[in-house]
Amino acid sequence: MIKFLFKGLLRDRHRSLLPIIVVVLGVMLTVTMHGYMGGVLGDMVDMNARFSTGHVKIMSHAYAEEEDQMPNDLALLEVGELIDRLSADHPDMEWAPRIRFGGLVDVPDENGETKTQGPGIGWGINLLGEGSTEIERFSLESSLIRGELPDKPGEVLLSDDFAIKLEIEPGEQLTFFGSTALGGMAFYNFTLAGTVRFGSSVLDKGAMIMDIEDARLALDMPDGAGELLGFLNSGQYVDEEAVAFCENFNSKYSDIEDTYSPQADTLRNLSMIGSYLDYAENMVAIIIAIFVIAMSLVLWNAGLLGGLRRYGEVGVRLAMGETKSHVYNSMILESILIGIIGSVIGAAIGLAFSYWMQNNGIDISGMMKNNSIMMPSVFKSKVTPVTFYIGFIPGVFATVLGTMLAGIGIYKRKTARLFKELES
Amino acid sequence: MLAIKLAIRNLLGAGLRTWLNVFVLSLSYVMIIYMNGMLDGWNSQAKSDMRVWETGGSQYWHTEYDPFDAFTIEDSHANIPVDFNKGIAAGDFAPVLITTASIFPEGRVQSVLLKGISINQNVVQLPSTSMLGEWDDIPAIIGKRMAEKNKLKKGDLLTIRWRDVDGTFDARDVVITEIFSCNVPSIDAGQVWIPLNTLQEMMQVANEATIIISSSEDDLDILSAEFVYKNFEFLTEEVTKIIQAKSVGTSIFYVILLLLAMLAIFDTQVLSIFRRQREIGTQIALGMTRGQVVRLFTIEGAMHAVLAAGLGAIYGIPLLLSQAKNGIPMPEGTEDFGMAISDTIIPEYSIGLIVGTIIAVLLAATIVSYIPARKISKMKPTDAIRGKVQ
Amino acid sequence: MKTIMIIGGLLICTLGFAQEPTAKQILDQIDQNMSSENRVYTSQMIVHAARGSRTMEMKSWTAGDNQSYTEYLAPAREKGTKMLKLEDKLWFYSPSTDRIIQISGHMLRQSVMGSDLSYEDMMEDRKLQDVYDAELKGNEEFQGVDCYVIELTAKVSDVTYHGRKQWIDKSKLIPLKEELYAKGGKLLKRTVLSDVKKIEGRWFPTKIHYKDMLKRGDGTEFIITDIQFDVNIPDHIFTKASLR
Repeated sequence: MIKFLFKGLLRDRHRSLLPIIVVVLGVMLTVTMHGYMGGVLGDMVDMNARFSTGHVKIMSHAYAEEEDQMPNDLALLEVGELIDRLSADHPDMEWAPRIRFGGLVDVPDENGETKTQGPGIGWGINLLGEGSTEIERFSLESSLIRGELPDKPGEVLLSDDFAIKLEIEPGEQLTFFGSTALGGMAFYNFTLAGTVRFGSSVLDKGAMIMDIEDARLALDMPDGAGELLGFLNSGQYVDEEAVAFCENFNSKYSDIEDTYSPQADTLRNLSMIGSYLDYAENMVAIIIAIFVIAMSLVLWNAGLLGGLRRYGEVGVRLAMGETKSHVYNSMILESILIGIIGSVIGAAIGLAFSYWMQNNGIDISGMMKNNSIMMPSVFKSKVTPVTFYIGFIPGVFATVLGTMLAGIGIYKRKTARLFKELES
Repeated sequence: MLAIKLAIRNLLGAGLRTWLNVFVLSLSYVMIIYMNGMLDGWNSQAKSDMRVWETGGSQYWHTEYDPFDAFTIEDSHANIPVDFNKGIAAGDFAPVLITTASIFPEGRVQSVLLKGISINQNVVQLPSTSMLGEWDDIPAIIGKRMAEKNKLKKGDLLTIRWRDVDGTFDARDVVITEIFSCNVPSIDAGQVWIPLNTLQEMMQVANEATIIISSSEDDLDILSAEFVYKNFEFLTEEVTKIIQAKSVGTSIFYVILLLLAMLAIFDTQVLSIFRRQREIGTQIALGMTRGQVVRLFTIEGAMHAVLAAGLGAIYGIPLLLSQAKNGIPMPEGTEDFGMAISDTIIPEYSIGLIVGTIIAVLLAATIVSYIPARKISKMKPTDAIRGKVQ
Repeated sequence: MKTIMIIGGLLICTLGFAQEPTAKQILDQIDQNMSSENRVYTSQMIVHAARGSRTMEMKSWTAGDNQSYTEYLAPAREKGTKMLKLEDKLWFYSPSTDRIIQISGHMLRQSVMGSDLSYEDMMEDRKLQDVYDAELKGNEEFQGVDCYVIELTAKVSDVTYHGRKQWIDKSKLIPLKEELYAKGGKLLKRTVLSDVKKIEGRWFPTKIHYKDMLKRGDGTEFIITDIQFDVNIPDHIFTKASLR
C-alpha cells in the first residue's frame, strides 16, 4: 500500500510536488528559525565565552581571587599535563590556555634606543599550536587591519590604534618590557606581524596578542597559564554540562587548603549572566512556540488545500467503488508520507543552512558604519538537538491534521451526485 | 471597489482556510511590531538612564581627557572656566574631577578611578547628597557592582591611596556612605565617588575639573581652550551601535516570519487559481479583461494582509499596550555586558513602525499573490471555461 | 641601586654628640660625614612573592647624588642586564634583546620587579634636608638600641612621601628604622635596617627590609654583601655607551 502510494506520489506531480515543496519550505524555515534564534540570543553569551570565561574556566584559587590584576605569579603550572588529562577524560571539550599580562611596549629607533613606548595588555593565546581554534575565537582574521597573522614564534599582533600611537609598521621590531611571573625583569623582542581592531575601546587601546609559547618565554612561566578555558565541542554553552564538568573537576583536582590548586567554574557563575541565559532560553522557547504554531497553521492549510486539489480524483475513486474509509485512510497515509519526506528534506536543508550559519554566520559588519564596539557583527546560528526534530512537528503533524480535516469532506459526498460532478 | 468587495466575499467564503492564513499573517504583524518596539524602548531607556546617571545632556571634556587611557587621566584637569560658574551655581553644570588611585581591600591592591563630584549637584542622579554632613573619614559613594566585587557594605572603611598634582602620596580611609544601584556600569565598576572639593583639596588643584556635565543638550559656546564640548550623540554612541547591531540581527527574524506567511498565501493562491479556472473563464467570457481578472485575484490575495491587520489589532493592541504599560522584564546581570539595561524595558511603538510594518506586509502579500495570478493571463478562456487543466 | 644612597646619606657618621643635639645637627652630621665621593657595592635583593622568594644579585657603581650604574649578576635570566640612572632619567639594557629602554613618566611609578619599591623610590636623590624640615621628637628604644626619633616634614611640594620618621642609633648615628607617611598621616611604607657592620671605619647597616604597609605580604629585602668607598670609577661608566 505504502509502496503504491509512494509510486503515486512520484508519478503524479500534482499530488506530490506542490505539497512537498510547501512542507519542505515550511520545515526548512522552522529549523532555520530555531537555529537562528538560539544563535542570536546566545551571541552575547558567546562573546563572553570566547574572550573571557570560556564555557568553563580553570584558574588557581589564588589567581581567581585577584583575577582583575592578572597575577601571573599565582598562575597554573604544568598546564600541558593538565590539558592531556582533561582531554583524555573529556574528549568532548576543547582547551585553551591563556596568559594575560601587562607591561611596556617599546619601539626602538635606529640605535636600538626607545623611540616610542606605551603600556599594553598582552594576551598569550594558542596562535601557532597545532589545530588552534583561538584565531577563530578571537575573529583575528576578520579583525586584521594591516599586515598578517603571526605564523612563526616571535611575531605579535597589536591593536591598530596602539600601533599608530607607537608609530610602528608591520614587519618592524618592538620590545616587551615587564615583570616575569616570578618578579624578574622581562625583556623580549617581537616582530609586529599585523594590526587588528576588535571594536572594544578597552582592547583597542593597547592590546598585544602573541602565541602563548612566546608569552611563556617572555614571562618565564614554562608550561604555565593564568587561565585555562574549556569549550564544549558543540560550540554552545550548555549549563548542565558545564556544571557537571566543574563538579567532577573540582572533586578531583581542587583543594581549598592549597591556594595554588586549580578550580573550575562555569561561564554562568563567572560572568554573572546566569539569569540572562535563562531569559534567552525562555525567549527562544516562546518565539519558537509561536513560530511552530504559525507553521502548523500554514501546513494545516496546505493539507486542506491538498484535499481540495484532489476533489475530482476522490470523486472518481468513490465512483469506482472504493469505500470512503479506504480513500480517507489512503489520503492520510499519503499525507504522512508527504509530511515525512518534506520534513526530512526540509530539515536537511534547514540544518545544512544552520550549520553553515553556525560556522560562518552572516557578516553584517558591512551594514554597519564604523563599528567600534565589541558586538558580534557576525550572526550565527546555534544547532541544538531540538533543532533536529523541531521541524517535524509542523511538518508531519500539521500536514496530517490538515489532510484529516479536509478529508472529512469525503464522507459528506453523495455517491449519487458523483457522476453528475464528473460529467461536467 | 467591486474587485475589493468580490475579494472579501471570496475570502470569507473560503472560511477556515482564509482564517488560518490571516491568523499567521497577523502573528507576523504583532511579532514584528513587538520586537521593534522592544528594541526602540531599550534604546531610549538605555540613553535616558545614561543621561540621568552619567552623561547629563552633554559634557565638556578637558582636551587631554581620554576615558580609556589611565596614564593621561592624572594630567587631564584644568581650572573650570569662569563662564561655567553661574551655571554651576544655578545647578546646570556639575564639574567632575577624575584621578587614578589604589584601594586596598583586604590587603590587595586594586586600581580605581577616583571621581570628585559636588555634593549638592543635581545634574546627574548620583546620590551625592548622602556624603553631606560631618564625617571622621572622607565620605564616598560606590555602585553596587563595585561593592559586590570588593565585598563592601554601607558604613565600611576602605583605604585609598592617591597622588596629588605634584606626585606626593596621600592615603586616607574613606567611609562608604551609600551604595547606589543603577543600570549604567560606566559610573560603577572600579570607581569611587567622593566630594569634589575634597578631591580638589587632596590633589591640590583648587577649582579644577576633568569634565563638566551639563544638564542641557546644547553647546553653550563657552569659550575655553581647555574644555571641548561633547554632544549627547557622541556620549551615547556605543549604545546606538549596539542597538543598531541588534536591529540588523532581528530583521533576519522578520524576514523568516514574513516568508512563512507568504508561503501560506502563495499556496492558497496557486490552489484557488487552479480550482477556479471555470470562474476565471466565465469572467473573461463575460467581458472582463485578463488584466482585470489578474487584479481581482491579486487583490484577493493581498486582502489577507488587510484582514490580518484587523485581526492582529484585535488581540495585538491589548497585548502590546499591556506590555507598554507594565514593561518587559529583563533578566538580572545583563548590565555586565557593559551597557545600561534596566530591570524592565518599556517598549515604544511609533506610528512609523506600525505603518511601516503594515505597508511592508501588504506589499509582500501583494507580490506573492500576483505571481501565481499572472498565470491567468496565459489561459485560453475557452479552455478555462471548460475547466481544462493547463 | 639608588636607594642605598638615600639610606647611605643618613648613615655615615663616626662622631658622637656631647649633649642632646637638634634634628638638624644630627642630619647635618650625617650629611657632612658622607665623605665618600662614590662607592661600589654588590648586593642582593630578595623579593618575597606569593610562591616563594626570588633573589637577584647585582653590582652597583654610584657617584655623587645622581649617577648610578648597576649590572645584574644573577639569576641567569637577569645576568648582564644593566641599569643606568643619570639625573632624572633611567635606562635599562638587556643583552637578550640588545635594546636600551628608557623608563619615564608614569612608568617610574611601577613596582620594581614585584618588590615593594617603585622605580621612583629608587630615583629620589635629593638631600633630605633640602626637601624636609626635621624635628627631633625624642628618644625611643628600638630593638634594644637607644634611638633618636626624628620627624621629617616636606617643605617642598614635589616629594613622593610627605612625612618620614626615622629612628637613629644614638651611639653609631645610623638610622635603624624609617617610616614613610602620606600627607594625611597614614603609614605607607616601613624600612628596617639591620646587620650593622663596620666597613672601612664606618658603621653600615647591610640589611634593609622594605615593606609596603597597605599591602599584605612579606616585603622586600636588600642585602649588601660587599661595599667599597672612594674607588676610582672611570667617567665612561655613567654614559649610555657603557650599557651595551
